[in-house]
Amino acid sequence: MIAIAVSSLVLGVLCGRYLFSPEVVDFFAAAEPWALYALMFSVGISVGANRLIFHKLKEYHVKILVIPLGIVLGSLAGGAAGSLLTGLGMRENLAVAMGMGWYSLSGVLLTGLGGASLGSTAFLANLMREIFSFMVIPLVARWFNEYTCIAPAGATSEDTTLPMMVKYTGEEVVVMSVLNGVICSLLVPVWINLLYAV
Amino acid sequence: MLTLAIMLAGGVIGFIGLPKRVHAVNLKVQVACTALLIFAMGVSLGSREDFFRELAAMGWEALVLSVLPIVGSTICVYFLTERFLPKKEKRRHDRHRR
Repeated sequence: MIAIAVSSLVLGVLCGRYLFSPEVVDFFAAAEPWALYALMFSVGISVGANRLIFHKLKEYHVKILVIPLGIVLGSLAGGAAGSLLTGLGMRENLAVAMGMGWYSLSGVLLTGLGGASLGSTAFLANLMREIFSFMVIPLVARWFNEYTCIAPAGATSEDTTLPMMVKYTGEEVVVMSVLNGVICSLLVPVWINLLYAV
Repeated sequence: MLTLAIMLAGGVIGFIGLPKRVHAVNLKVQVACTALLIFAMGVSLGSREDFFRELAAMGWEALVLSVLPIVGSTICVYFLTERFLPKKEKRRHDRHRR
């Protein structure tokens, strides 16, 4: 997925820079929200169809919320700390950090809410979060506990980084990883919209 | 908020049930939509006059806003899971070397 994401981005930049006329650029700008709606609908179908998620949700009860809670608090703290190092405002830092690794959605949402530049920062930051997660999960498994392997991955723990969980944790943590990804994925648009609603 | 409503509508349809073949197509739709979204974002980025200068500035911000949330999340989840979830033994390192 990372290969598809990076090649789509590079190809898009090159086409926008050297190939496409302003009319074609406008066409893609108009198509963006529709592609997002289609993606959200499609992700919704996948979540709704996964009965195992509902079953395990009952079994773990509220304890399952401990991991997404930690990820939300940690991402907010990281975003707040980031405001000391970036030229962005507090709200922008928090909104980018609350992408929690879901680069496509946070990039598009923040392009709409805060402009193309902030959307691009959100895209890059969250893409980097996903890439760095692949690198740090083996270290987290060694230095912390198995549950903590889910933390760097954030919202990506249900799909792209899931193979890392399979390799470095047990079956139970893998299921928790899927649940965490679903919960964080639901929270990403809620948090980003909330930060721009206040 | 419209995106959330659309996701919820998809969730209801997924929960009610669809044939397996539709789910296989659905996964391909997700990849295609993600690729299209990212491509479209790349197009709008590339068409900006100051894109490459902005990229240098964005690179630092993106680095900060990827590393710090990872560090924050890892610390918070570690302390919360140590406190509230049953203990798990660390895996033996040799298992990972296979």
